[in-house]
Amino acid sequence: MGRSDEELVEACRAGEGSAFDELVARWEDRIRGASYRILGSEDEARDVAQEAFLKAYRGLAGFKREARFSSWLYQIATNLCRDRLRRRRSRPQTSLEAIEESGSLIVETRPGVQERLQEEDLALAVRRAIESLPQEQREVVILKEYQELTFLEIAQALDVPVSTVKTRLYRGLDQLRLRLEHQGVRGAAVVPLVAR
Amino acid sequence: MQCEKVGDEALQGDKLDVLYGEADVAARERVRAHVELCPACQDEMTALRGVRRDLAAWRLPPARPARAARGFVVPHWLAAAALFVLGFGAALSASGYVSLRRAVVEQQARADALEARQREAQQALQAALGRGAAPAGGAFLAQVDARIDERLRASQTQQSQSFERQLASWQEQADVRRRSDMAQVAASLSYLDGRHGQQLARTNELLGYFLQASDKR
Repeated sequence: MGRSDEELVEACRAGEGSAFDELVARWEDRIRGASYRILGSEDEARDVAQEAFLKAYRGLAGFKREARFSSWLYQIATNLCRDRLRRRRSRPQTSLEAIEESGSLIVETRPGVQERLQEEDLALAVRRAIESLPQEQREVVILKEYQELTFLEIAQALDVPVSTVKTRLYRGLDQLRLRLEHQGVRGAAVVPLVAR
Repeated sequence: MQCEKVGDEALQGDKLDVLYGEADVAARERVRAHVELCPACQDEMTALRGVRRDLAAWRLPPARPARAARGFVVPHWLAAAALFVLGFGAALSASGYVSLRRAVVEQQARADALEARQREAQQALQAALGRGAAPAGGAFLAQVDARIDERLRASQTQQSQSFERQLASWQEQADVRRRSDMAQVAASLSYLDGRHGQQLARTNELLGYFLQASDKR
């Protein structure tokens, strides 16, 4: 059984350099995945993940033991993503570049390509719907749906109450249902949500 | 039909806890008791599960190397193969040129040696004729000289023609070899170019499908 994140943090503080490598190996993919879904760019997500680990390493001395390391790491990464989104507003990307950059259309023409294209259609619709959410809802949806954090962990990562996390998620899911329905995705529209 | 508890944030929170498997026993019981009697909330829970199923379709793309600065990713294997093919072609051409030069120099040396031997033979013959008491006199000597000169000229002409023929043959061989090398290089490059072209074509084709699908929607 390996050491917990918090034990690795303690080892790192005690001067064991390889302990931080273990933390990076454990969390890098997930941090990069969350950043990719928030930003929509693989290259930027890679940069954010590297920057987040660098900031975490420099800030280990100030890390509070009552918080979970993963929540703290997500908090750093989310803030970095917010910075990048703010900067990006002055020079928006075109959607075609974003699609090409994701590599989602580069599939091989083997049997079953039709099914894969349908999956790609659905994935693209989902991606567009999530990208169109307000930033606060988008972060909560991504951290909950794709990073599988608990409500408490999300609250710690975003530094908001759990009730706020749930309200944002509830509204986000409702918006997603409407937007997916608008894009012709049937799964979300099996039964309409209750009118509110 | 509307839920009579619309706007009840505690109930919304409980429903989310149930939806994501974080509800304790009490919360599960509260939601079950309400949803059993509320068709609107039954529909809502079904719709939320549907949204969650759809969200699972967006998967992360496989990790790929960082983009090149100019926005075009050159695969390492393609660059290495192109360098290898170019290097191979250049080495073949250089070796062909070097071997041709060496052959020309060797042939020139053989021709010079042959000419030197003939001059020596001529001088030796003239010396022998000078030592002997040939009664035939100057006319005979002149005749012998003329014949020797004639033989020498014929021999030189023959050597020169042979040399020209051989040089032309080597030139032709080198030309053929150079053309063959260049053809190989061109074929290899077009193969590599074709590989990349096919990938682009596939991407374009799929982009076409995607745009068609978008238009239909």
